[in-house]
Amino acid sequence: MIRIVTLAPYDETDLAWLGKTLYTAFGLGTELAGERKPPASAELAGGRTDAEKLVQAAGAPRVVADDKILFLSAADLALPPGPLGEPPAWGFAQQGGVRAVVSTRRLPARGATEASVENWRRRLARECIHFVGHLWELHHCYDPRCAMHPSWSPDLAPNPDAVLCNFCREKSERKIRLAKT
Amino acid sequence: MKPESPETEAGSADGLIGDPSSLKPGDRVVYPNQGVCRVTGTDLQEIAGQKLELVRMVREEDGAAVLIPRAKVASVGLRRVASRSYIEGVFHYLAAQYTDPELDWKIRHRDNADRLVTGGVLGVAEVVKGLHSLSHIRPLPTKEREQYDSSRHLLVAEVSASLGVPPSVAEDYVDYALMPPAGVTFKLKPPPRPVELPVRFARRKPIAKAEEELGLDDLGLELGELGELGEGAAAEEGAEKGEEAAGAEGAEGEAGAETAEEPPARAVPPAKGKPSPKKAAPAPKKAARKPAARPGPKPARTAAKAAPKKAAPKKPAHKPAKKAARGGKK
Ligand SMILES: [Zn+2]
Ligand SMILES: [Zn+2]
Repeated sequence: MIRIVTLAPYDETDLAWLGKTLYTAFGLGTELAGERKPPASAELAGGRTDAEKLVQAAGAPRVVADDKILFLSAADLALPPGPLGEPPAWGFAQQGGVRAVVSTRRLPARGATEASVENWRRRLARECIHFVGHLWELHHCYDPRCAMHPSWSPDLAPNPDAVLCNFCREKSERKIRLAKT
Repeated sequence: MKPESPETEAGSADGLIGDPSSLKPGDRVVYPNQGVCRVTGTDLQEIAGQKLELVRMVREEDGAAVLIPRAKVASVGLRRVASRSYIEGVFHYLAAQYTDPELDWKIRHRDNADRLVTGGVLGVAEVVKGLHSLSHIRPLPTKEREQYDSSRHLLVAEVSASLGVPPSVAEDYVDYALMPPAGVTFKLKPPPRPVELPVRFARRKPIAKAEEELGLDDLGLELGELGELGEGAAAEEGAEKGEEAAGAEGAEGEAGAETAEEPPARAVPPAKGKPSPKKAAPAPKKAARKPAARPGPKPARTAAKAAPKKAAPKKPAHKPAKKAARGGKK
């Protein structure tokens, strides 16, 4: 079960759509676990949010067995800078762990037209699949059509699909099966 | 997590541990093809009348117990976790323009298997980068797709251990270098020299010698069996997550076409009692083969390849499993 906790207000139909797409990707049910206040302890100077701290400190329902918690946030997520600088953070996940966050801040504008809303939802779903994929120990994938391809890659289509490639899907299935036994 | 890792041993760019007595409890080491381990101590075991001293370790990612006979420490390629400054150099390699990937799969398989065992963290990065750039030319066959994933796993684990960041952040660093966002360029320094592999040529011999010294042949014992004996004893210590099925992430050592898959070192809880062969000390018997020059990075490379040959139009390898036979519940 993937429990979705929102840290900002989101449209319920958007979330329902997300739940369906996650189910398609992982074969796991989702539950909307309500909205919580983002943890103050993750706030950084300058209005940004420490992604790792947010995931650790945000309130969430109790998890059982192989549950995963997915936070949706509107925050500008920060990662510690690496040897070549700070990669843009669309989210953060505890690799092989329980908690992940996706920020809607970098998504295309949701707008009000049917097409723009659909693009927004698809991109949100793609990023959620990506970070939930990390929770199931998936690594990044070189296929730009796969949701595990890095979110900032220049090879990504403007409106990428919210799907996993065969390799990543099969690996996630193995990991999920393993967790269930 | 400690942000600074132990420095690599002086005079040895790849941190190979030549002297097992230098290992202390708490040391973080890399067992090629298995991952980052923490030394917990030594064990003395008697096997068929022979006393064997074993280095006892715990693999960090899953708590699996790993035991290596002291005499095998050098030959399995056990090395220190790369230092922060060395890892930084690896990123300059990852971000550098790549020379054309090796297209002959036989050479590629052999070289990549060698790199993973004896090439240090830069060797692992070479495998990731090489297969990554090959994937832009054509889809990787299953075996190499798995090798791409497992070498990525090893690289991420070591970067994470060395820099003291979570693995997913380490992976973002790797791909930020490999495929930077549009408009981002890096001021690159010359990457480190790939580890020269004199051991590679002489490898077969020392292993055989080590086994002779141990008298294992006479005893009819494989080192794998030793590992298992050891692990039985050590399993409860750290095997919380250890029951995960072996081989799941394909971290097999010699992922070349010629070898059968072997499960990575995992602690199997004693209750299960299912022995998985060759757990603790799969000596890299294949390592020593090829004196050929590795197409690794040369210091000049960064600037040299200003106009890369675009070998072929980018063609992603896998068909996304669109709406994969699942969406039952609507
Ligand atoms: Zn990612
Ligand atoms: Zn994929």
